[in-house]
Amino acid sequence: MRMTTSKTLALAISLALSGCAKSYLVLLEDHDGSTGKVTFSGANSDTVIDQAGYGTALDNSKTVFKVEQQQINKDFGKALASEPAIPEIFLLYFETGGTQLTAESQALIPKIIETAGKHPAADIAVIGHTDTVGDAGKNEKLANERAVQVSRLFDPSKLDVKEIAVTSHGEKNLLIKTADEIAEPKNRRVEVTIR
Amino acid sequence: MKHFFAFSGVGLALLIPTPSAADDAVIGYIKTITDQTTIVESGNPVKASLGSPVHAGNVIKTDENGATGLTLKDNTVLSIGPNTELKIEAYQFEPQQDKLQLNASLLKGTLHYISGVIAKLRPEAVTVKTPTGVIAVRGTRFLVKVEE
Repeated sequence: MRMTTSKTLALAISLALSGCAKSYLVLLEDHDGSTGKVTFSGANSDTVIDQAGYGTALDNSKTVFKVEQQQINKDFGKALASEPAIPEIFLLYFETGGTQLTAESQALIPKIIETAGKHPAADIAVIGHTDTVGDAGKNEKLANERAVQVSRLFDPSKLDVKEIAVTSHGEKNLLIKTADEIAEPKNRRVEVTIR
Repeated sequence: MKHFFAFSGVGLALLIPTPSAADDAVIGYIKTITDQTTIVESGNPVKASLGSPVHAGNVIKTDENGATGLTLKDNTVLSIGPNTELKIEAYQFEPQQDKLQLNASLLKGTLHYISGVIAKLRPEAVTVKTPTGVIAVRGTRFLVKVEE
């Protein structure tokens, strides 16, 4: 892999002109406004980036550089435009001991169905939960009944739904940690994820 | 230099566990798609369309006009641009059984990554491999381009 001096120089100039390396990564702000951290581990070095809009070449240079929006649009425009709808999570709460939704949760249902309609090829997960009042085995069944009831809200003949997965966590996955036999409205819930 | 990097890429590839061939669970679905995109399963390319299921071990490929987006079971959101090959090396999302893993490889092209639940619960279980190194994430969103 020998390069003549002129070729090396030409490569250096083209890299400088493009503003960044050929293979690189760039950190972006999350949709919630926060910024995480990304580490690139090359052959013998680690490069950490924790500032949105900054990137690093996928080599051993360890240099961190600012990536202009124009460059991002040029290189990643199509990947960014193909971003699927971000998954949305809803919590529905129940009256004690049965499958009756609270009035507030009942009122949320049109919004949930509308959201499912906005997710093409929707993949929906419905997880049922109870509080710790009563027998664990019965609660497993009750949580399942709650989840099945909520899952019926999604009509596959009207919505583009690929999958509805119903699961029961019974009283094993409490939102609010309590002792056994405690009535806790926040634990009597069904979690709906629309992907 | 190039040879050295290529060699190290092979070394890293050996560290990625091979997904079991028997694992046919759906791990996500194609959610956006333009033009030609294929899903390569056990070496057989199949034309992808909106709602196509994705399995661990699949390679998602786009041609020069292609682009596609997919959402995985843990709410990880991935989208790729033209001339791209993205392989889902391994995937496990069973938080109740404490099984969490997402290993992807960007062989070439462009990837937009938005982390999901696995990266939140266990950041070290998520890696995106490139021919020259490995990207680790801490609950975040990034873009990566691999030019051949």
